[in-house]
Amino acid sequence: MRKTSDAASISPEVLQAMNRRDFLKRAGCAAALALTASGLGLALYDQAGPPAVAPESGKILAGLGDYSLPSLAGKTGKMAIIRGVDRGRMVERGIQALGGMDTFIQKGERVLIKVNAAFATPASLAATTHPETLAALVRLCFNAGAAQVLVTDNPINNPESCFEISGLAEATRAQGGRLVTPKAELFAPVRPAGAVLLKNWPALVGAFKDVNKVLIVSPVKDHHRAGASMTLKNLYGFLGGRRNVFHQDINAIMVELALLLKPTLCVLDGVTSMLSNGPTGGSFSDLKETNTMIVSTDPVAADAAGLELLDRPLHSVPYLRMAHEAGAGQIDYATLNPERSDTGA
Amino acid sequence: MSPRRPKNSAPQHIASYVVLAALCSIAAWLWVQQSSYNPAVLVALRPLPLKRQTPQSGPSAGQLHATARLIPELDGFLPRGGVETYGPDILSDKIDGKAELYLPAGFKEMSCRIFSHATTHIEMFVYEMLSDKAAFAVFSGQRRAGARASDVAAHAYATPNALFFASGVHYVEIVADKPDPTLQDTLETLARALLANTSAPAASAATKAPGASQAQGSLNSEAALFPKEGLAPDTLRLSAADVFGLQGFSHVFTAEYHVGDAQATAFIAIRASDADAAADSQRYLAFLTANGYMPILVESPPPFSHFLRLDASFEVIMTSGRVLAGVHDASSLPAAIALAARLAKEIQGKIP
Repeated sequence: MRKTSDAASISPEVLQAMNRRDFLKRAGCAAALALTASGLGLALYDQAGPPAVAPESGKILAGLGDYSLPSLAGKTGKMAIIRGVDRGRMVERGIQALGGMDTFIQKGERVLIKVNAAFATPASLAATTHPETLAALVRLCFNAGAAQVLVTDNPINNPESCFEISGLAEATRAQGGRLVTPKAELFAPVRPAGAVLLKNWPALVGAFKDVNKVLIVSPVKDHHRAGASMTLKNLYGFLGGRRNVFHQDINAIMVELALLLKPTLCVLDGVTSMLSNGPTGGSFSDLKETNTMIVSTDPVAADAAGLELLDRPLHSVPYLRMAHEAGAGQIDYATLNPERSDTGA
Repeated sequence: MSPRRPKNSAPQHIASYVVLAALCSIAAWLWVQQSSYNPAVLVALRPLPLKRQTPQSGPSAGQLHATARLIPELDGFLPRGGVETYGPDILSDKIDGKAELYLPAGFKEMSCRIFSHATTHIEMFVYEMLSDKAAFAVFSGQRRAGARASDVAAHAYATPNALFFASGVHYVEIVADKPDPTLQDTLETLARALLANTSAPAASAATKAPGASQAQGSLNSEAALFPKEGLAPDTLRLSAADVFGLQGFSHVFTAEYHVGDAQATAFIAIRASDADAAADSQRYLAFLTANGYMPILVESPPPFSHFLRLDASFEVIMTSGRVLAGVHDASSLPAAIALAARLAKEIQGKIP
C-alpha cells in the first residue's frame, strides 16, 4: 500500500529519470566489476606456464608405490630357484613353489608387468626379456583372475620397434595383455625421500594408474657400466628424460631406483645369461645356457642369486650391497631358504 | 523529497543468491584445479632431446651422415626400416651403457640398419671413431675369446652369428639372429660391400702378418714392441681409460702371454715425453702400493724397473724414455722376470 502511495506521489517523468539513473549506475558498477575481473585475469595470466622443474610447492611423487604383499611386511622374502630349459614350465613351477599366483594376484586386480625391452633385437640374442617368460607370466595372471594385465617399459630407442622385434609385443597380445608404450603424458616428476639424483625426475607414473600389483621380469646380463643388468637395473626403464646422465654415478642411481618401487614379485630369467659384452651383447659367444629361473618377492635377493649365474662375486656389483644396506632387500639370498626344483631337460 | 529506491522482490533476492553461489562454486573449482597442475605440462616444457636423424638412403643420399653412406644396399638384403645415425649425445639411446666404452675412446658417430636375408634378421653397426687407434681400442676391447680370425680386414674375427672388424677409423659389427655357419659368407658379403664404400683398403694376404691382430699403420709403434715369444694370439688390446682399475691410466696396449706354465699380461704405452712416462710409472706404482702390493728384490732387474708382489700376483713397472711398460698379474715370479726381460730388450732405445 505504501509503495502504491509512494509511487503514486511521484510524477511519471521523475520516475523515468530515476529508473534511467538507477540503470546507468548499476550498469556502470557492473562494467567496472567486469573490467576489474578481466584486468585481474590478464595480470595473472601466465602464457609460459609453470617452469620445467616443478616448484617446491608443486605435486611431486615420492615414489612409484609399494606393491609388496602386506602379509610379507617385515618378514623375510620368498624365493624359488628352478632349473630347466622350458621357460613357461619354469615360471609356473617357481610361482607354484611360492604358493601359486593367486597368492599374489586377487580376482579383479589390475597387474602391471615391467619388462626389459631396451633394445630392438630378436629374443635369441638375450638382450631383452624373453617373450616365452612374459607369455607365461601374463597367462598365470589371467588364470589367477586378473582383470587386466599391462606390459610396459620405456626403451628410449624407438619403443615400438623394441617391443615388436624383441617379440614382447606379440607375446603380450597373444595372451590378452595390453602394451603400455611410453607416451609423454604418462610421465610425472618423482623425488623419493632422501634422493640425491632423482630430484623431480620424470618417471612413467601414468602406467601405474589403478594398478594393484607390479611384476618385474628381467634377463640376466653383464653390463659394461653397472657390472650386471638384472631386476634392479630393469627399474631404470621407468625413468624418462635424458637418464643416461646417471651412468656417471651408476651405483647411487641403482640404490635410488631400488627404493623407488617395491614390486609384488620378481622373475629373473637366467635360462640364457649374457656373460660378456653387455648390455647389448651381439654374439652368441657372449651367451651361456645357465638354465635357471629365479622367482622372488625380494629384488635384491633375486639379483644376488642371479649374479652367481654370471660367475661374479658380490663385490663386483657394488650397488647390490648398497641397496641391501639401504633396506631395499636381502643380499644374502640363502636366508630366504629358496625352494629348489628341476623341471628337467 | 528524493525518490525511494524500490526494494527487490523475493524472486530477485533468490536469483541473486543463486548467481553468487554459482560464481563462488566456479571460483572454488578454479582454485582446486590450479593447485594440481597437469604433469604433462612439465613434460611438454622440458628441453627437447637432441634430435636423432634418421635419413633414408636413396635419392637424398647427399644429405646422409658419413657412416650412413657406408652402409651398402645389396640384392637379397631387404632393409627393414631406414638408416639410424647417432652422435655422442644420443649414442646411449641405442646401446645404453655400452656407450661408455666408445665415448672415452674418441667416438664420432654411428649408423645402423636392420636387414632381412631370407629368414635371418641381420643388423649392421658402423662406428666412426676419431682415429684408427680409437677404432682398434673399441674393437680389441670387445674381442670375444676363442673367436675365429676373419680375413675381411686386418683386424677382424667371426663368431657363430656375427662378424666384427676394425678398418681405418671404422669399427663394424654385423650381427645375425641365429648361429649358422652358412651365414658367414653372407656376413662377409655385407662386410666387403661396406669396405668397398670406404677409402681404407681391405686386408689382403700379402699385408696380413702372422698373429692377425698385430697392428697396421699408426698402431705399429706400440704393437710392434710386444715380444713375439709366448704371445697368445689375438690378445693385443688397446684400453682407452682406467686401465687395471687406475683412474686416468689410459691408452695402454696389453697382450696376454704364456711363460712356461704361467700366465701374465704385458703392457706398453708410449707417452708424449720421458717425464710423462715417468709420472705414469710413479702413479701406477703408488696405486699398487696403496692396494697392498709390496716391493721385492730380484737378481739383475731390467733398468728403471720395479717389482712388486701381492700373494701370488706379481707386477713389474719399467720405463725407457717415452715408453712405459711392464708386467701385470703374473702368476709366478720367474714368469714375471722372464717377460720383463723380454720387454726390456724390445723397448730399450726403440722410441726416440
